[in-house]
Amino acid sequence: MRRLSGGKESVRFQILARQFALPSTVTMIALFYVPLLIILAYSLLTRGPYGGVMLPLTLESYRRVFDPLYGQIFWRSIWIAAVSTALCLILAFPLAFYIARSGGRKTLLLNLVMLPFWTSFLIRTYAWMFLLRDTGLINTALLAVHAIREPLPLLFNDGAVILGLVYGYLPFMVLPLYATLEKLDDSLLQAAADLGATPWVAFWRVVIPLSKPGAVAGSLLVFIPCLGAYLTPDLMGGGKTVMIGNLVQNQFTTARDWPFGAAFSLLLMLIVLGTTRVLGKRGEELL
Amino acid sequence: MRRLLAVYAGIAYLFLYAPLAVLAVFSFNASKIAVWQGFTLHWYGSVFHNPALLEGTLNSLVIAGAATVISTILGTLAGYAIWKRRMPWLTNSLYLSLLSPEIVTGVSLLAFFAWVFRFGHVQLGMHTVILAHISFSLAYVVLVILARLRTFDPTLEEAGLDLGATEWEVFRRITAPMLLPGIVAAALLCFTVSFDDYVITSLVAGVDSETLPMMVYAMARKGVSPEVNALSVMITVGLGSLILTAGRLERRGR
Amino acid sequence: MKRRTFLAAAAGVGLGCERRGERRLNVYNWENYAASSTIPHFEREFRCRVRYATYGSAEEMLAKVMTGNSGWDVVFPSNSFVEPMRDLALLAPLDHARLSNVENLDARFRAPVWDPSLRWCVPYMYSATGIVYSKSVSRQPLAWADLWSDSYGHRVTMLDDPAEVFAACLKRLGASLNSGDARELKQARDLAIQQKHLLRAYLSEEVRDQVAAGDVLAAQMWAQVAQVAMDQSSNLAFSFPAEGFALYADNCAILRESKRQDLAHEFLNYLLRPAVAAAIATEMRTATVNRAAHALLPEAQRENAVLYPAAETLQRGEWFAALPITAQRLRDRYWTEIKSA
Repeated sequence: MRRLSGGKESVRFQILARQFALPSTVTMIALFYVPLLIILAYSLLTRGPYGGVMLPLTLESYRRVFDPLYGQIFWRSIWIAAVSTALCLILAFPLAFYIARSGGRKTLLLNLVMLPFWTSFLIRTYAWMFLLRDTGLINTALLAVHAIREPLPLLFNDGAVILGLVYGYLPFMVLPLYATLEKLDDSLLQAAADLGATPWVAFWRVVIPLSKPGAVAGSLLVFIPCLGAYLTPDLMGGGKTVMIGNLVQNQFTTARDWPFGAAFSLLLMLIVLGTTRVLGKRGEELL
Repeated sequence: MRRLLAVYAGIAYLFLYAPLAVLAVFSFNASKIAVWQGFTLHWYGSVFHNPALLEGTLNSLVIAGAATVISTILGTLAGYAIWKRRMPWLTNSLYLSLLSPEIVTGVSLLAFFAWVFRFGHVQLGMHTVILAHISFSLAYVVLVILARLRTFDPTLEEAGLDLGATEWEVFRRITAPMLLPGIVAAALLCFTVSFDDYVITSLVAGVDSETLPMMVYAMARKGVSPEVNALSVMITVGLGSLILTAGRLERRGR
Repeated sequence: MKRRTFLAAAAGVGLGCERRGERRLNVYNWENYAASSTIPHFEREFRCRVRYATYGSAEEMLAKVMTGNSGWDVVFPSNSFVEPMRDLALLAPLDHARLSNVENLDARFRAPVWDPSLRWCVPYMYSATGIVYSKSVSRQPLAWADLWSDSYGHRVTMLDDPAEVFAACLKRLGASLNSGDARELKQARDLAIQQKHLLRAYLSEEVRDQVAAGDVLAAQMWAQVAQVAMDQSSNLAFSFPAEGFALYADNCAILRESKRQDLAHEFLNYLLRPAVAAAIATEMRTATVNRAAHALLPEAQRENAVLYPAAETLQRGEWFAALPITAQRLRDRYWTEIKSA
């Protein structure tokens, strides 16, 4: 019996495999782990008079990170990410369900969902700015038909940020949901119907529970980028909706407080790791 | 029920494509404001007459190109290695890199380069951006390659070994050619991801390495301009074609 | 395989290196601070290529050049940044033998407080910060306190600049805008946080078009940018707030890290030419510190009250100054708190 797993038992390729993995291993160490270690080191140093880092070592940055004032940013980020993820889940589910049951057109429909995602994220965010501004298309159209007297403030608030995030990451939720729903055996639904369940009940009692792995994987894939989002809150939030990503960027650039920014980065990283640990064990294996 | 779902799906697709479609339509608008005032190709022309934008595009292409070449090579080898031998450390590192928020990757690389610069007369520039792009795109390449490899039949390789070839020859003459569509697909994906990157690039770019996304961002912050619309449409069409090609290549030979 | 990797790496390194054989100058300036002819004429006359990029805030510039190997040659720090940058050893001392045109400067700017011997910088343009507003508002913002009222329906912005926001708050409290007093700074911070929910956003130059379009009703704005907006729309007015306002001057300086000090000096000298300074002042609507250039300006521009305020108005103005380090640290910290609130 042949296993299609590449022959993990294949002894003869071991040396070659080691050699092949070496450059990537070195790259990961040099360009991923070492930078993180430096960030860790910076988070323990003191800020120089106008920026930069200097000794002495201190836990001051971490103390400030847990200051209730910054708790707002922390909770707001989690809130926005959670709402965005929930909306993505609700919006993506029927779509994924529809695609999974579309027979021959499945691949086409799925590709149509993924395509926008792979074009520029920045441009898609900008497209929403074009629509939502005071002088943007939506307001201009509404004013033209006299539906409103003054432009609606559709941009530069939390709602706009959530919209931007949902729009940006919806495909990431559709894909895993689709993968799970596609494997759903029709006979299960048949059996439910035979037992007297209405389509609705069958949906709630059969489909939803079975789609959990996909939902969990999708939530992971959406929640984490949303939590660390920078571009969307910056452009759609007008510099007012400060999420953790904005704060970190700000500390490393104009505010020039690297230790503080480093501490916040590590906190973000820890949350990401924690969420992965909690959800990842039940999600799908990505790699 | 099915009808309802179809309607919903239609609205969902509309939601996904409408903003881009609107952008495309208004890139032909003969006026700067959001009111249609006639068809023109003027904005497309002005993009090509903007030397800064052209330089930014060149930078983006060079960076994406260099990063793609290196990442694809490294990633293909790594993917093959992981397929052959369980490497939990490397796999987890790549997984972590994939999940890492861009802002964290960006600032950590900025700090890394700042620290390295103490030991040499180096500056932020094209090379730092390329290195940064390799760092985050490697995982994408491995992802695609591994997905392809998992559909492979290892008996072909076994046959090669039985015929007296070395492991390296087996890879070079049997596996790699079969993997080629996947490699190209991975490369195209890598290129797209690298070309579009803003967050990490903006942090590690230097004086001479301003990229197209950085310029689009600066223009977007200033306000809406049809020039940005035209530029956006061109970028979207360009990247979209690459992705479609990648998808087609991946499906071929399955 | 190995050869390919090496070649690719070499290509990457090669691209990072400079193109030889062509004189180059990297100039980092505020947005909209050079006329369309300024750079091309310089390039032609001195047979070089200028890489010209812009920034929107002094903090942004400082963050970039602080590492000491940013790649920039000439930057334009505001006067309150000159001393800190000098202390951080970021600036190169100027050789006045190569700056013959420095005598064109107005008397007020020949020996400014922030650099009495002009050893580190040369003044470039100056202005003040006030409020630009739409004439159609019900309540004219003639004082900073007016920006705390809710009669503008969220269509108010403040500058994305810690010094400016603190200046407005401190002036409203009746204190000096260079105050380093911890108590006053804390009160100012509280005021700013109070105001935040009334604001649309913290925006600097980028809000100019929105003000001109009537999108934003009132904005804290640099006088010179306000003037450009007023050129675009006749429905705008500018006020120098009653409680007092900030005065600032932007200066050209050469970075110590620059390997092109000669060419940089030529550039500074070039900017000091009356014709060049006048061209910039006319086209970009800035207020020049160059006495000879000022004389070349058309009368309407010279008499412009927004760009060149009258003496009584100027009395209420206060020049920005560099803060002592502890006060600076505190203010930086408070700014992050304001932005995060």
